[in-house]
Amino acid sequence: MIKVIRLVCLALSLSISSVSFAKPPIIEIRIKDHLFYPAEVKVPANKKVKLLVINEDPTPEEFESYELNREKVILGNRKAVIFIGPLKPGKYPFFGEFNMSTALGTVIAE
Amino acid sequence: MLLDTITLVLRETLEAGILIAILLSIANIKRFSKRWLWAGLAIGSVLAYVYSINFDGVSEWLDYAGQEVLNASMQITVAVMLMLLVAWLIFKIETLEPAVPFVLAITVVLLLTRELTEMFIFYSGFFQVHEDWVTRLNSGITSGFIGLMIGVSIGVLFHAAIRYWSDRAANRIQITLLSLVAAGLFVQATQLLMQVDWVSSTSAVWDSNWLIQESSIVGQMTYAVFGYEATPTVTEVVGYMGIILCTVAMLILSRFMKDKSEISHAN
Repeated sequence: MIKVIRLVCLALSLSISSVSFAKPPIIEIRIKDHLFYPAEVKVPANKKVKLLVINEDPTPEEFESYELNREKVILGNRKAVIFIGPLKPGKYPFFGEFNMSTALGTVIAE
Repeated sequence: MLLDTITLVLRETLEAGILIAILLSIANIKRFSKRWLWAGLAIGSVLAYVYSINFDGVSEWLDYAGQEVLNASMQITVAVMLMLLVAWLIFKIETLEPAVPFVLAITVVLLLTRELTEMFIFYSGFFQVHEDWVTRLNSGITSGFIGLMIGVSIGVLFHAAIRYWSDRAANRIQITLLSLVAAGLFVQATQLLMQVDWVSSTSAVWDSNWLIQESSIVGQMTYAVFGYEATPTVTEVVGYMGIILCTVAMLILSRFMKDKSEISHAN
């Protein structure tokens, strides 16, 4: 029984340490004039990635993607953090829901 | 812009419209007064406005995870409320009946707070850009109203479709739909927590976009009714199935209890 408890503790501490120390790469995306910069975002496949989305417009925008299963409202002149992945290699479109015709982009996992 | 606004408002009202239609069908069969609905709509609208004007602060809570954590909490609470309704519908517990309008009202309040906040924020930005009232009225308010009316119409049709059946059949439909919506809300809440890395994310288990494109109108309808996700992760599939199994377990238990009481009455 004690062995089992020790194993569980070890597994827990390992999982906590992996969460704490394995920091995902940060990729910056800017919103300016209702456009995403860059519009094509390259990320490593099969890895978790932290997107830092900075809205440089004075108006709010919603970062949304059906393929990534993500949606987040970002107020004007504010930033937001969105974790994506691990993603299989491929293309994952995203858009700004408040300006759907202009704010378009793609995450490319490779 | 016109089509963008219609689509945005429709997407936000569709889910709320369908769920309120299901709740309304329950209230109508049980002959509850509509006070829960009016109270829910009024309080939900006020809370959504309060949330939208404090959105900046909330977003920065918990190292920029505030928006997701608050929205996920509201969705999980709604899912719990729906499962309480499912339990009440299955076991037909009459002593709990006075509490049901409160459950219905809380559900509407949280649902509306979640959905309307986004619309308030969208319109605040829209009015910031378009200062002339002609554009505001033509492009913003009119197209928003069209989107709202399409969403409400779908809700009304949904309500009529449930009420078309006998009360007994409607009861089964309500149990099924409430369970599916609750499971869908749980999946949405999980996704929000994955978005801020509070729940570990994995690769998608499958991709059914070839069957139903999630971004299509059918995809959005199935998302609103069944919690359809074209690319779910293991956690989402397990959570979804867990909620459906809860309902199945309750149905089996109620049948077992019914059989037992029939045997004891016969003796």
